[in-house]
Amino acid sequence: KSGSQVMTQICGKRMKASLGPPKKGNLVVCFSFKIEGQILDVPAGPQPPNPEAKCPIYRWNLQHKYNYTDVLLLSQFIRSDGGMLPRRITGLCPQEHRKIAICVQMAHRAGLLPDHKPKLPEGHVPKRLKPQLNRYLTRWSIKSVKPIYKAGLKWCKKRMSVGHPALKNNVRYSVKPLYIKH
Amino acid sequence: MSSFSRSAQQWATFARSWFLIDARMQPPGKIAVMCSVRLQGKHKPIYHSLDCGDHVVVINTRHIAFSGNKWEQKVYSSHTYPGGFKQVTAAMLHQKDPKAIVKLAVYGMLPKNLARRTMMQRLHLFPDDELPDDIRANLTEELPQPREIPRKLSEYTQEEIDAFPRLWT
Repeated sequence: KSGSQVMTQICGKRMKASLGPPKKGNLVVCFSFKIEGQILDVPAGPQPPNPEAKCPIYRWNLQHKYNYTDVLLLSQFIRSDGGMLPRRITGLCPQEHRKIAICVQMAHRAGLLPDHKPKLPEGHVPKRLKPQLNRYLTRWSIKSVKPIYKAGLKWCKKRMSVGHPALKNNVRYSVKPLYIKH
Repeated sequence: MSSFSRSAQQWATFARSWFLIDARMQPPGKIAVMCSVRLQGKHKPIYHSLDCGDHVVVINTRHIAFSGNKWEQKVYSSHTYPGGFKQVTAAMLHQKDPKAIVKLAVYGMLPKNLARRTMMQRLHLFPDDELPDDIRANLTEELPQPREIPRKLSEYTQEEIDAFPRLWT
């Protein structure tokens, strides 16, 4: 399928003549431009080990193996301003789409995706300098969380949540269990 | 070392060493555990509760990283006098004093006896990279960081990004 194809496109428009009212039969063809396209021979990349599955994560057998740190994987499912791509475009199954969205949120809050910030309007200067605090595995959004003034005794303590329960089935190579409530 | 003479071996055993810990992007709790172990002397086979701890220097305490939403949720309270009960979130306390969080964490992990104050005197905290020259001259060992810092997307080279296969087209 090599070779170049020349596509021509003619755009015809019924235009009003500059002199006088349009008379019958005044069809004026205004634009005609050519778009030249080339079909390149790109070498095929590595093939997925499970090509029959519908979801890309299942095709590559990555079901319980990714985390918020796997930025190379997560960056394939986000827009340039940091938002997630819709499921009908990426082809992810609903559970994996949700897990990837959660990991992308955690990666944004950890500062691992510095180039995917939304574009601010020109000349926008932030009024108050926000404190630059390092964080990781943040489940809730920063503005929505309230301080725990009365934490309670050991048997009724209000725990601080870390990570997300959607990722509790991830593969762990250590004996220690995953602590979600700190 | 078996090649040392007897007096040199005894000197090396009972000498007080100075450890350096870099707290950049590390959780303060894990840093505090490492500090408290070495301040008490529990990392030595010759441990005794009477004063065999070492000095610990922690740098970059301003760049500490809390997991979860602890910056907003964790509250430090102080009862000074009746009616003087103050509660401050971790973010506000860190802004006021960048060393306070690590200091309180280590203080809470040391044994609650009279030796705690002397052990806290042997802990040296610095918010940034700068160290006074006399402390820098005393340092003997740097400890590895407890948490592996994840790489940002901008830190990956273009070859690594290209080598990663596209999952969907």
